[in-house]
Amino acid sequence: MNCEEYREAIAADPSFDGAAGHLSECSACQVYRKEMLALNQRISRALAIDVPQLDVPELPEIGAEVSPESSTSMSDNVVALPKRPILSPVLLGLAATVVLAAFVGFRMVGSGVEYPTLGDELLAHIDHERNSLVVTNVAVSDARLTSVVPADIARLDHGAGLITYARSCVIKGRSVPHLVIQGEHGPVTILLMPDEMVSTPQTITGESVKGVILPVGNGSIAIFGEREESLDQIEKNILDSVTWST
Amino acid sequence: MHSSKAATLRRQRFDQYVGVYHQDMYRYAAWLSRDKTIAEDVVQEALLRAWKSLDALRDETSAKQWLLTIVRRENARYFERKRLETVDIDNLTASQAALLAVEDDKELDDMRQAIYELEDDYREPLVLQVLMGFSTNEIAEQMELKQGAVLTRLHRARAKLAVKMER
Repeated sequence: MNCEEYREAIAADPSFDGAAGHLSECSACQVYRKEMLALNQRISRALAIDVPQLDVPELPEIGAEVSPESSTSMSDNVVALPKRPILSPVLLGLAATVVLAAFVGFRMVGSGVEYPTLGDELLAHIDHERNSLVVTNVAVSDARLTSVVPADIARLDHGAGLITYARSCVIKGRSVPHLVIQGEHGPVTILLMPDEMVSTPQTITGESVKGVILPVGNGSIAIFGEREESLDQIEKNILDSVTWST
Repeated sequence: MHSSKAATLRRQRFDQYVGVYHQDMYRYAAWLSRDKTIAEDVVQEALLRAWKSLDALRDETSAKQWLLTIVRRENARYFERKRLETVDIDNLTASQAALLAVEDDKELDDMRQAIYELEDDYREPLVLQVLMGFSTNEIAEQMELKQGAVLTRLHRARAKLAVKMER
């Protein structure tokens, strides 16, 4: 190995410990190696940026989980049941009703992860993400806005207002754009939910905020502001500014 | 009862990985995106995706590489439509500048800025090698490159940094 080959090797990987023979005889490469090791330490230090506190997203329940032990032991431990007669259409309808009622009941009661209503989940989310509610005149960059509201979700005109916060958040297990604009009385939260359909406008009232979930196409848009905030004009601006792409 | 226990164990397993590798995930995302806010979003999405596909991870020893691969893909998705290859170092957004913020240490400041200005092709293998401790083979696998290409990029990355730091 010559000097050039050795330097390329040590620059590509400072832990390279080959070519010991060449290194012991070449003082210039010994100096180069020391320089590379020092450079690497500086790189390592520079890369180790501070890490903010961990913020684990809301995790959806994983359905139809089967643990390895249960899946392997099924055939050994389960006794085959006798075949049942096929249900009549009337009984099938009755069974479907029972299942639907049980599902609705489960949703209403809640399990700690599910919220009774979409409005409850939105209020909890806004409360969870209070850091978004900052009074400011600094708009998010176009790049950020484009990445949070990609073209395959929606088109957003500038008429929406001064957008000072944009983040992808999880609502009902789906990633949705969470925006904040500046209203007359403080920050106003906008959640674009292209897949969350509501049949009629829903008024929501929280402890310190009020809001509305508006049906828009096959989805909905939620708008929340301070109790004193007049949301009518904001609703109109948002509805005029947002066009679903789906 | 059984499925509840399985769900609890699954969550514990997830929390364990997140606890151990969260810092690596964030730093990797930050140096890929060169933006602290975007990095936070990418990590959030990556955690969500990791949670959903946790059962696909069979080999515990490859958890770190698995998580970093998810971060890499989420970052690519994020920039899919608008890739900012060049950044004007004198005109950074607050979130971009936050990545460079240091306290009273000019040498660290200069090095961080020099790394920041490196092209993606050079910066990423450097991060994987120096920060994540990946071998050149593992970097090649992660970046879907041949090992020779990785060695060349690493060599050139250090050469560029050395030149910048001499100025």
